[in-house]
Parts: sequence; structure tokens; C-alpha cells
Amino acid sequence: MVTGRAALLLILAAATLPLWPSPWLGLAVLAGAVLILSMVDFALAAPLRDVEFTRDGARTVRSGETATVALRVANRSPRVLHADLRDAWVPSAGATPAVHRVVVEPGSAVTVETSLTPTRRGDRPAVRLTLRSYGPLRLAFRQRAGRPETPQWTLRVLPRFDSRRFLPEKTARLRTLEGSTVTRGRGQGTEFDALREYVIGDDVRSIDWRASARRSDVLVRTWRPERDRRVVCVLDTGRTSAVLAGAEPRLDAAIDAALLLAALALRAGDQVDLLAVDTAVRATVSGGRHVLLPRLVNALAPLQPSLVETDFELVVGEVLRRERKRALVVLFTALEPGALGDGLLPVLPRLATRHKILVAAVHDPLLAEAKGDPYLAAATLRTLGERDRVRSALTRHGVEVLDAPVDTFASRVADTYLALKQAGKL
Amino acid sequence: MRRWHRFAIPLGAVALVFAVTGVAYAVNEPDPSDPAFLSPLSADGIGGQRLAQALAARGVRVERETRTSDALASAYEGDATLFLPVPRVVHPDYLAMLRLMPPTTRIVLVDPARRALDDTGLPLVPGGRRWAAQAAEPGCELEEARAAGRAAALRQRYEGNGTRCYGTGVVRLIRFQSDFVVIGASDPFRNDRIGEHGNRALATGLLATRSRVVWLDLHELESPPGVTDDPGSASGVPPSRGTDPAEGDSGGDGSSDDSRSGGGDGSAGSPEDDSSGGPSASGVDGENPLWDAFPAWFWALLIQLALAVVLLALWRARRLGAPVTEPLPVTVRAAETVHGRGRLYRRAKARGPTADLLRAAARDRLAQLLAPSPEMSLVDAAAAATGRDREQIEGLLDGPTPESDDDLRRLQADLDALVEAVRRAR
Repeated sequence: MVTGRAALLLILAAATLPLWPSPWLGLAVLAGAVLILSMVDFALAAPLRDVEFTRDGARTVRSGETATVALRVANRSPRVLHADLRDAWVPSAGATPAVHRVVVEPGSAVTVETSLTPTRRGDRPAVRLTLRSYGPLRLAFRQRAGRPETPQWTLRVLPRFDSRRFLPEKTARLRTLEGSTVTRGRGQGTEFDALREYVIGDDVRSIDWRASARRSDVLVRTWRPERDRRVVCVLDTGRTSAVLAGAEPRLDAAIDAALLLAALALRAGDQVDLLAVDTAVRATVSGGRHVLLPRLVNALAPLQPSLVETDFELVVGEVLRRERKRALVVLFTALEPGALGDGLLPVLPRLATRHKILVAAVHDPLLAEAKGDPYLAAATLRTLGERDRVRSALTRHGVEVLDAPVDTFASRVADTYLALKQAGKL
Repeated sequence: MRRWHRFAIPLGAVALVFAVTGVAYAVNEPDPSDPAFLSPLSADGIGGQRLAQALAARGVRVERETRTSDALASAYEGDATLFLPVPRVVHPDYLAMLRLMPPTTRIVLVDPARRALDDTGLPLVPGGRRWAAQAAEPGCELEEARAAGRAAALRQRYEGNGTRCYGTGVVRLIRFQSDFVVIGASDPFRNDRIGEHGNRALATGLLATRSRVVWLDLHELESPPGVTDDPGSASGVPPSRGTDPAEGDSGGDGSSDDSRSGGGDGSAGSPEDDSSGGPSASGVDGENPLWDAFPAWFWALLIQLALAVVLLALWRARRLGAPVTEPLPVTVRAAETVHGRGRLYRRAKARGPTADLLRAAARDRLAQLLAPSPEMSLVDAAAAATGRDREQIEGLLDGPTPESDDDLRRLQADLDALVEAVRRAR
């Protein structure tokens, strides 16, 4: 295929036509010359089949940050490769530059780098490499779809985990919870830790009289919060998770909160499992205390909302199958009468008898502007009423319900977890 | 998008109607340069065979001429009607010769343009022109017209002296001793229209006042009159067959009668015409003069530039790899269902349910604020707290359904005000 230079050459050569004795002969000679030159140039271009691509570089990047993926172009032909190279990623991968200009000497290789600033969470694949190999005069080029082969590469864009900023504060609260003797909350679930001598200020109710009788001192029992409890995060990826909460879908807020909760629970010594379900199980993570957080992040990254009704029967079945011991099940969903009332409430008793359930919902920022519009105000009131009905129905089954706006959602989920832990309700 | 359609579709329909009308008009409009147009031999719709037959039936001899010089020579003999269906193609010099006709010759011009009228020397100017010929009443003293009655003769109007009929569509005047008839519409003479109204009577009436009709069946531009060979015989005499140089060559074997009746050998463009010069001669045959207007290198240059443009197009048409697509994530606007329900209420004009919802919400708020006891109703408590009229509060909380949106809005504002007043009173 010819380039613009061939056309330019033809245009410039056209200026000499008035000088030719026979302009028609001149036309034939000039056009023929340009044609022959282009063909020679095409023949001298480096062949595409002798070029090889290999990729290297980042496999994951946190959302909002920039990663670099290197592309090595090896030229095994005896001719110099002058080429334009388009490294095409999906648009949301934010790849720059779109086109690289490379010159590769025979038998050597050149590495070009594409920097990627993805705009969305999930897997961002590199789709296609297109090579346009020019001849030495740049009058013609070789280019063919699918040649050379495009190496597969996928960049996984991890969730941002903005709620990391809450982690130090929550951990500090957890530590005071662990480190202090239990001065209150002698709930049934708290674990016995050790005996120590009584000091002024201890709750007299915690004096262990039997132990004191064996020794000359007065001894008190100390407790610590339970360890080795289980927390199951269940993410609803059905239609209600697609609703925007702020700038991002509800699912992203749920992922953020689940990550904070998991990080906190790991520090508290609990085991964290994760399930993402709509009509099928989309992601599972279980067990493994040490490298759990990276695995969680990795499993959550490609989750996307889908426009289907969540199958809560499947949710309950999966949780019951996986968790033999009593666990805290945190269900990240939306308080919507259609989804929860028809789907969850019928199957809830089976789950509630075995596990402690926390329903965590990001609520819609409902409508302060409904003041002027009575119809909209009435619709809002009705929705709020339905939401309250769902909430009270859930509470009747002994389910904790958390309904929080998106900006404080992750923090509130962690607070609820800490409160439950402190109350020994895990 | 839809708004755009709302304008485009009616406008497009109107434009389509105009376009169809214009095309149909152009197709139906007879083309005077068509050899069949008002030819006594043609049986087509635009031909004049039926007119010729009608004239023959009235005992009038029809002499078909294909060259103006022959027609003029024949008409010059007197007692004839010279019929010029397409005056546009008659050379101006021949038109000027019409003034030499004897008083016994009538000349009928069909739809002459301003220039033809000027060349002939008639004191007429074209006036308004109709979209199509209109059937009109004669309304004049002309005998032929009165005999014909209503006829489709009104199309091109003429302003000037003379006997004007059919709303100036037909003008008869005596000029240069001769009897001129100018008619602005060709419809009365055409095969397809001759049967309508009084068209046949008008057409035959106009043409049958003399014992023969000299019918000039000429449809393309003609060479100008040649120089007469014999000046002595040419004084006041229009060019005869003998004086036309073309006749001397082409009509060598045929008699003049053949040429008149058959018209077969009266070809328009013979080699001598070119040599005699004239603006119209070169247009008859030979190649396009544009070729010679520019030097050869100009055309070669033009072709080479066109080739360059083709190369440019080829170059730009080859893209560097196909565009990349990716599925977009599903997102739903926040509070979409609330907004949708509000719009449904508005569309259904559900003022009753809306008012009920607003009132129930206000009652709930008041109940929370006032905590009414069984012996003191909510209305009484609110009246006591705010000092307002009890009837008014009752009407607000239990009144009739609002009649209009304004009433509903007022109710909403009043309820808000009541709740606010109770809150401030506490």
C-alpha cells in the first residue's frame, strides 16, 4: 500500500509536465516511475512475519494509578524495520501513546513502553497490535491484520480501597478492646483469658472467688474478645448493585467496605471468607489468613454489576454449605422491598438460626429537593416507608441492619463489626 | 434525537412532495428539441399527426418542410399558412425574412420567446407564464377562436397590440402586410391534447384559413442562410432551394418534391456549413472545443493530479488496525425508581394517593413529636401545641382530596409548615 509521500511525489512531478515535449508521454513516464519506486520500496520493507512481539510489565494496578507495560519488538529479518506500531487496548485502559514509531536494526530488538491509566476497575485487556512496516523511502508500507501475532496481556485494575484511611483508627479501637481488661460486657460469648491480682477499680463482680480461695490474694478473671471467629462477606452483584451511589455504583462502595472489614477482621484474628453472588457465584475467597487481603482484592477487582435479580436462595445455600461453624454473615445489598422482601425474607430463617446476619446497605441519597414537587415527595415517602418495613421485617428475624450513606458506609460497617465484637455477639 | 425527527419528518415529506412534483413536471413537459414534437409524422403524445390528419380532412394540403429556407420559399408563393411550432430553433436571419411574406400568407408561431419576437419584428413582449396550459374562453373577435370556444390556449401571455384572445394567450396581428398569429401554448396542437375542449377546432381553425399549410418540422439549430448566388433574383425574395449551397450537393439526385414531402435528405449539418462559419456551426459536429482551449500538458497535469488524489485516498483509507470495542458497565441512576414513581403519579394525576401519603407522613411526624395519649387526639394535641384553630388542622390532616396541582402543592407546604410549627413549639 502506498503512503502520502507517493502522492506528494506525483503532485510535485506534475509540475514538470509543461516542460515535456509530449505531456501524455510525460504523464505515463512519471506515473510509471512513481509506481515502480513504490513497488521497489514495498519489496524492500521489512517483512512482517519476521517480527516478534513479547510483552512484559505490570499485571495489576490500583484504580486511579498509572502502570507501564513494555512491548519488545524483535526484528529477525535482514532488513531494518521502520514501522508504526499501534498498541490498541480497550478504551477504558487509558493507554498512551496510541501509536509508537520504532526503528529496529536487523537481528536486534527494541522495547517500547505503553503507560496505562485505567478509568475503571476490572480486567483491561490489550486487544490488538498493528504493525505498519515502511520501506526505506517511505513510499509504501506493508501491513496485515493479525500479523505478527498479538501477545495476550491483561491488566487487572484493583479497587481503590479508599477506606484504608479508616484502618488505623479502627485498629486502635480494636486494640483497646483487646488490651483492656473487660470492665463491662461480660456477655456470654466473651472468652476467658487469664487471672490476675485485683487492683482498685476492677469490677468486683469479676472476682474469681474460687481462685482467690486457693491463693492468699484476691484474683479477678480477665477476658479478651473472641478470636478465631468467622466473618463472611456476601456481595450482592445483582441489579440493585448497579445503582449509582455518588459517582460509582453501589457495588464499588460495597467492595470498599468489605475490604475494610476484612482487613480489620484479620487484625482481630478472625477468619474472613467472601462470596459474590447474583444468579451464580461470581467470586469466592476462603480461608488462608496470611495472604488474604491481596487475594480478596484480586477476587473483587473484576466484579461487575449485572442486571439480574439476585438469587437469595443460592446465597443462603452457599453460605450454609461453606460455613459449618457459627459466623457473622455481612450481606452487602440494598434495602429494597422488591429484591429483599421477595427474595431474602422467605429464606432468611434458615440462615438466621445458624449465623449472625448483618445486612449492610448503601442508601440512596433520598431527595432533599422533593420539597417543591408533591408527587416526587410522595414517591420518596412511599419508598422510605417500604424501606422501613423491610428493615423492621429483617430486625424481627434478629438481623442487624445498617443503612448508611456512601461516604460513611465503610466506616459504619467496621463500627458495627467492632460493636458486635465488643458485645460478644459474634 | 426524537425532537430532531419531529422537525425533519414533516419537512422531509414536504420536500419529497416538491421533488416528486418537480420531476413529474419535468418528465411531462414536452421537449421542443425532441424530433417528435409537433411533427406531422409523429403519432406520439407530443406529435402533431392528428392535427395533420384533421387538416387534411378539411381539404388543406400539408407540406412538411425540414429546412427553413425551403419552408420560406414555399410560403412565399402565397395562399399558405406557415406553421412554426419551434420558433426558437429558426435562425434569426430567417425570422427576419418573415416580414417579406406576401399578404396572403398567414404565419403561426407557437410559444415564441422574446428574442424570436424581436427578430421577427413583432411588437409583442412575453408576459406572465403559467405552470401549465389553462383552458380559457376566447373572449375576442377572432373568428377561429370564437368558433373553437373554450380551449387550452392560455399559457404564455403576450403583451402588445393586435387581437388578443384567450386572456392574451393568443394574439393575432397584421404586420408587414402579413397575418401573424402568436399562440403561447403548444397543447391545442398536440396529439394527446387535441381532443380536449375546443382544441381541435382552434388548431385547425388557425391553420386552415389558407389552402395549404407549410409545416416546418425543425427541432435543432440550423445554419444561417447562405449568400445567394444570384443577386438579381434575390431582391425581396427569400432564399430558395436553389440558392442554398447545401442543396446543391446533397440533393443532386432527388427532386425538390421528394425533399418536401419526405424530408429524408434534408440533413442539417453538411461539411459546407462549417466552412461558411458562424457561432452555431461548430456545435453541430466535431469534437468538444474545450479540448483545444487548453494545452495538452494541462490535461495531462489534471490527470496526474487526479491520480495523486486517488493515491492520497488509498493512503488515508488504510487504517492502522480496526477500532477497539469494549462492553460498558451497567449503571443505574440513583433513586431511579423514586423518580419514576413520582413521574407516574404525576402522569396519572394521582392527587388522592399523593395527598394521602403526604398526610400520613405528616401524621407520623406529629405523632413522634407530640406523643398523643389515647384521651387526647393528635389533632387536639397539635392545636394545643401550636395554638392554631382545631378545625384548620383537622382540615389539613383529613380534608378533601385536592382538586388541582396547585392545591396539592399548597397542601404540601401547609403540612410542612404545621410540622415545623409543632417542632418549634416544643
